[in-house]
Amino acid sequence: MRVEVHDIHKHYGPVRANDGITLTIEPGRIHGILGENGAGKTTLMKILAGYTRKTSGYLCMDQVPVDYRTPTEASQLGIGMLYQDPLDFPFLSVLENFMIGQAVGLANQKKYYRKKFDSLAADFDFALRPNVQVNRLTIGERQQLEILRLLSLGIQVLILDEPTTGITNVQKDYLFSALKKMTSEGKSIILVSHKLKDVEAVCNQLTVLRRGKVTGEMKAPFDTDILLEMMFGQTPIPFNRCLQESGRTILELDNVSAPGGRSGLSDCNIRIRQGEVVGLAGLEGSGQDVFLRIAAGLLRPAGGSVMLKDKRMNAKDYHCFKHSGVFFQPSSRLEEGLISGCSVTEHFALQSDHKKFVTKWSDATSDAKKKMTEFRIIGRPDSLAESLSGGNQQRLLLSFLPRNPLLLLLENPTRGLDMESSSWVWQHLHKYCSDNTTIVFSSSDLDEIIMAADRVLVFFNGKMIKDTRTCETSSYELGLAIAGKR
Amino acid sequence: MNKIFLRILSIFWFWILIWALPTHPITATAAEKPFIFGLLLVGPYNDHGYSQAHYEGGQYVERKIAGAKMIYIDKVNPADRPGITIPQLVDDLMEKGARLVIANSDDMKDGIREAASMHPKIYFVHVSGDDVLTGKAPQNLMNLFGRMEYGKMMAGFVAALTTKTGKIGYLGPLINEETRRLASSAYLGARHAWENVLHKDPADLKFQVTWIGFWFNIPGVTTDPTQVAHNFYNNGYDVVISGIDTTEAIGVAQQKRLEGKDAWVVPYDYIGACEGASEVCLGVPYFNWGPGYVDCIQAVISGDWKSEWVWRGPDWQDINRPDTSTIGFVTGAALPASAKQSLNAFIKELGAGKTNLLKGPLFYQDGSIFLKDGEIASDQQIWYMRQLLEGMQGASSAK
Amino acid sequence: MKPKLLLRYSKELILTLAVVFLFTTIILLVTGAPVLAVYYHIFKGSLGSWAKFGHVIKTWIPLTLCACGLLYTFRIGLWNIGVEGQVMMGAIFATAVLRFGVESHFSELYLFLSILAGIAGGAIWALIAGYLKTAGGVNEIFAGLGLNFVAQAIILWLIFGPWKRPGIASMSGTELFPKALWLPSTFLLRISPIGIFSAFAAIILTALMLRYTRIGLCLKAVGNNPKAAYLFGVKPQPYMLLAMIFAGGFSGVAGCLQVTDVYHRLLPAISSNYGYLALLVVMLGNFNVWISPAVAFFFACLNIGSVQLPMMLQLDSSLSGVIQGASVLAALGMQAWRMRIRSNEVGAFYE
Repeated sequence: MRVEVHDIHKHYGPVRANDGITLTIEPGRIHGILGENGAGKTTLMKILAGYTRKTSGYLCMDQVPVDYRTPTEASQLGIGMLYQDPLDFPFLSVLENFMIGQAVGLANQKKYYRKKFDSLAADFDFALRPNVQVNRLTIGERQQLEILRLLSLGIQVLILDEPTTGITNVQKDYLFSALKKMTSEGKSIILVSHKLKDVEAVCNQLTVLRRGKVTGEMKAPFDTDILLEMMFGQTPIPFNRCLQESGRTILELDNVSAPGGRSGLSDCNIRIRQGEVVGLAGLEGSGQDVFLRIAAGLLRPAGGSVMLKDKRMNAKDYHCFKHSGVFFQPSSRLEEGLISGCSVTEHFALQSDHKKFVTKWSDATSDAKKKMTEFRIIGRPDSLAESLSGGNQQRLLLSFLPRNPLLLLLENPTRGLDMESSSWVWQHLHKYCSDNTTIVFSSSDLDEIIMAADRVLVFFNGKMIKDTRTCETSSYELGLAIAGKR
Repeated sequence: MNKIFLRILSIFWFWILIWALPTHPITATAAEKPFIFGLLLVGPYNDHGYSQAHYEGGQYVERKIAGAKMIYIDKVNPADRPGITIPQLVDDLMEKGARLVIANSDDMKDGIREAASMHPKIYFVHVSGDDVLTGKAPQNLMNLFGRMEYGKMMAGFVAALTTKTGKIGYLGPLINEETRRLASSAYLGARHAWENVLHKDPADLKFQVTWIGFWFNIPGVTTDPTQVAHNFYNNGYDVVISGIDTTEAIGVAQQKRLEGKDAWVVPYDYIGACEGASEVCLGVPYFNWGPGYVDCIQAVISGDWKSEWVWRGPDWQDINRPDTSTIGFVTGAALPASAKQSLNAFIKELGAGKTNLLKGPLFYQDGSIFLKDGEIASDQQIWYMRQLLEGMQGASSAK
Repeated sequence: MKPKLLLRYSKELILTLAVVFLFTTIILLVTGAPVLAVYYHIFKGSLGSWAKFGHVIKTWIPLTLCACGLLYTFRIGLWNIGVEGQVMMGAIFATAVLRFGVESHFSELYLFLSILAGIAGGAIWALIAGYLKTAGGVNEIFAGLGLNFVAQAIILWLIFGPWKRPGIASMSGTELFPKALWLPSTFLLRISPIGIFSAFAAIILTALMLRYTRIGLCLKAVGNNPKAAYLFGVKPQPYMLLAMIFAGGFSGVAGCLQVTDVYHRLLPAISSNYGYLALLVVMLGNFNVWISPAVAFFFACLNIGSVQLPMMLQLDSSLSGVIQGASVLAALGMQAWRMRIRSNEVGAFYE
């Protein structure tokens, strides 16, 4: 189906998320939408999928103007969207999830749908077992399930929002070949991403957005430099780090085991030295999340010992760790990191140094203003945390970092940030290291780890299976380790 | 949006104003000044029980005294009207022009006394109270009550004649002097019938009193009277005498009858309580408040008001004469003709003074002497009954 | 709070009231009652005279106290349904103290002590629910409901047992306290200055606490996101207990005033459902410390004014319950509407 987007505007108060976007998506093509955070990609996709209403502009499908207001109406027209975090029911089985939205009536139609599911899955080479509960699947597998479900609903236009985040390279290959197969059947694919490499690898055509406007279009083959310029106006400079000499051990885990997360953590022996930057690689939930939380005192180890600067910290809580200079930041910003319903100023007041009975709001406000300028946070001091965009939320979190921490434990510190923002974040974080602060962070982006870290630890199924300097390894080697092939 | 708001609001208030304006002249230009009296009812005015008897007494006054007008507030109890106090309600009644306020429940004792001392120019009648006797009453407060012990004796009498098992249940409200007095009277009536009409051994008569804790059911606070009545019938008590303000016992008796069991009931308070329950109702002792009210109000009008303690009895000529008898007993359809005859004879004896059940020797439950041999109880002795009588089962006071 | 926000809240409140009126009017029309007469009598019956106004204030005081207490627990995200039992406990403790003062000449001292006892009673009862929540993970709603029943049972037991009137076993309450143990009240409106003072003190204290102190900030932080608050160095549990203490303390004062100022004795319905009502008040008042007392005033007017209905129109006064129910429905509708507006605003800086 041919989708035409004409002069779409979406305004949130004074903010123009989409400011006159026009583009055409040809049938049988994979059309990439590229742009940094806050460029307006997600807003546009939500309009296309019926989740958000546009302020003005119109849409055409096969030259017929269409207007719809809900996702259901969109899917009746043949438009379906696959979200970053697939919208499924974790406690139902794969088959049951597959049937949701299609099976109507009381009759048990399991057999019929089982057949349909099996043939579709075989078509795409997806190895999904229909009776497994969805909460036991990886994100990649859930994606596959959602794709099958959308296809069986008769989707002609499939929108994918950052589909390569959180899945393995192998799953990515499956995904891409599935996408190609779908285009060969005449379906249109819209792929939203800020990962240049993925987009370049699979798309036939690209549209670049910036600040709510289209800044350029390009057909394959692509020129990376020109794309980057369209995205950012200027090309960010990559950097590399590989510190050879490092200071004394500040964090020491001996034979630590703990439950929690998807896999727990077992028999973990890790030494972290002062001033180094350590990246934690691995599939999400392979143990790095548990490790970070044990190092922060948020989880109690079941066995082994945790030493912080020669002090045994096993039974201590996070506030005790914090007192010793350890600082933790979680990856789920609104779930754990920020307090929705509280303004930026309130966040600063909460952590101000002098914890007097009476809050000094003037101090907190000026604090907030100062940090917001310093960290380039778009918003006002009285903006609520949840009203900030993802990138701004991340920068706000970073602005909370104390002045002279001993150890920073950061979970996915650049998740959802575009290249320019994440390079800015790392420039800022690396400044801490020159003051002898240690940084331990997890990331699903191997390139980021290789660029930003001195050392990398790879986790697989609850175990730390590889410990190496970043300059002595490659993303290929790390990728193998992540998949469990040492 | 704002404009629509304002418009709606202004229209609303405008109508209120228009509506409110003409009402004042109308009330002010009423032909002659009526005598308004207020009635505070502890239960709903249509409860087929105690409160309805009072309500109809008020209507009787309106018929009998020209220009008398009743205003009432019902459900005056803290459970139904949380946060409302008696003095507040008296204020309300006064505002509507009430010159005399009748409070119908024992529960309102403290509140009505407080109101009376606050408003010396208004007259107050506390039904069932004893503030005049105890000397706590201010000059504008009087007590009024009916000698229900006679009614209860008749209730006990028909119950004993009817029971096949020899077990009578008494559904008691809360425990105080009044309720002990009434339960004991019912027992005396029952024992009299058992001994002198049926010629059986009094030791074989079982008379059980079970208290629920208040005049009517307050869910979660009192014991459920329906449950208590069920327990009576299930345990062989085939006649239940109700001492509470409401009619739960009748419903339970009817239900048991449908199940094929022997079940009779003697309700309380209201002349019409037996209506629709002819198959189980043996009769009802009732209050007829009209004559008493008329006397009180006439006393105010004529200036003969006295703060006194009035205890009005039945008119023995005809206990069911509405203009004179404060206490009455109407028989129910379930009462056999022979029993009816015995009852009439019993009433005659009571009226003639031939039979006085409140005559010694009588003993309290713990064996102490209530009345010595041959001693006839004084009003005070009857009013302040300290325990249930010997031979009755059930608590005389709280544990 | 910014005046703009206050304006918006007030507008919402007025809209809610309009919906309430609409809903009630429909019900009145269905039942065939004279619509305007009903409103007129409720209005006249609550604000028609100074005496009526005095009654309204008497209801308003405990309602406002409970509402203020609830603001703390709502701020930290706790549903303190147990407020009803906390009122009862406050009343029980106050009564216990006053019983010692019956024979005493220092009645003022005992009145003062009774307020402290009321605070303690309410706070202890709230702390039990709070402790079950923080240490045992028991949902405060269930714990609160359970404790309400226990408190009611204790009152009944006391009235029927140890504190019964001599020779009497009635649910109608304990012996009346002597006049010396009644809170002194002004002649004109028969309102107790101490009651008025405590209500206003509660409003102002709550406003200051929530807005200007670290406690208020931490309550809000924990209420909105306990995990994040912990990372910010705020331990949720102590603040939950603190919020419960405040809620229990204020409702305990309300319970004490019910004894010393309204009923002058302990009775089963001593709490007058003010706790449950206060929950509605606070929800209807948008969890705002300045609007809630106004809503409480509205509910107090309904409560007092509805007495007129049986007297003047022979209508069942449970109609006021219908109006209260309509208020809650309207408030919930309002909340849904507010959420929609807010979700639009949230998008302001998003993408």
